[in-house]
Amino acid sequence: MGQTVVEVNDLSRSFGSKRALDGVTFHTMAGQVYGLVGANGAGKTTLLKHLLGLLRAATGSVRVFGLDPVRDPVGVLGRVGYLSEERDLPEWMRIDELMAYTQAFHPTWDASYARELIDTFGLDPSKKIKELSKGMRAQAGLVTAVAHRPELLILDEPSSGLDAVVRRDILDAIVRTVTDDGRTVIFSSHLLDEVERMSDHVTLIHQGRVALSGVLDDVRGSYQRSRLHFVEHLVQPPVLETAMVIEGGGRTWSVVHSGSLEQFRRAVVARGGEIVESRNATLEEIFMARAGRSRQVEAA
Amino acid sequence: MDITITVTDGVPIYRQIINQVKYLVASGLLLPGEELPAIRTLALQLKVTPNTIVKAYGDLETLGVVHKRRGSGTFVSEGRPQLAIRERRRVIEQRIDALPKRTS
Repeated sequence: MGQTVVEVNDLSRSFGSKRALDGVTFHTMAGQVYGLVGANGAGKTTLLKHLLGLLRAATGSVRVFGLDPVRDPVGVLGRVGYLSEERDLPEWMRIDELMAYTQAFHPTWDASYARELIDTFGLDPSKKIKELSKGMRAQAGLVTAVAHRPELLILDEPSSGLDAVVRRDILDAIVRTVTDDGRTVIFSSHLLDEVERMSDHVTLIHQGRVALSGVLDDVRGSYQRSRLHFVEHLVQPPVLETAMVIEGGGRTWSVVHSGSLEQFRRAVVARGGEIVESRNATLEEIFMARAGRSRQVEAA
Repeated sequence: MDITITVTDGVPIYRQIINQVKYLVASGLLLPGEELPAIRTLALQLKVTPNTIVKAYGDLETLGVVHKRRGSGTFVSEGRPQLAIRERRRVIEQRIDALPKRTS
């Protein structure tokens, strides 16, 4: 740990009149898992495409392993594994042909690891990509993303639309990538439960900007959810300085708030109430507060 | 190792692991000298980032609940840890919550 793998500084990008990324700074260290969350169209995929050199930085800079992925695609992509949401695989190829084809680009390809994964997933190597189910395509794509044992694994919405079995395969691949020699994983997901379990760091992108970024446990530790009880019936939600979301009515209110609990308690008491219960907020509650979305950050 | 993780109650995952290992040792379900699962094994089982297990095992070592042996694994130490009542209640509640899922 301790080595910088990705360094994105002040990256901005527009598509036509739409601002896709706006001053994004995003750094990753080796041996860590980074969860990227945000609504559909928030800019997650655009950011990941810059890391892969598929988009050129218009403003700001992008470095992966200290290299510019646009100017040195071979130096970067040989050390990166990538699974896209679209899983754009060559339809006409058979699985074994896809493996041979991918291997040709990667001197570090571990053929026995690839075979082991194909076996574990129960894939038939003689099947054509176009004959595969959605889950099988994801599995085949996953093999091509990890079998060269990349130093950096990038997964863009890997779980999107997949059943529990294939989602488990993908999470297993993340765990294996990180435990084997401290490799780095960046994955975007709308499944906050998954992000909460699998990430060491979390970054929330909202309308092209980084709305929140940090060590997951620190992020969670800095927001609380409290239940409040007031002596008098309140017609309007109580005015509380550090409150981000207030729900409820009458004498009982539920609040997501940041900052010190003691300061919050004083504010509540000053309004004639008391804190009944307080706990760290969940990621979902924090993101709802910061990005104004509930349940999942985006619909599946 | 029988551990259940939840992401809905706001308790950091590494702390849930610490509490439950302490519970398993305090209740005699894990015995002194017994080896804990390897980091990778437990991370795969719980579907959590391996660094969370590293952190939990590290803190358990600091607390004297387990010790590491060079070149091998992590083992339960002698002497049972004491659990605060709140921690104990939370562990038991979590285990009760997990029951219907296992029987169905």
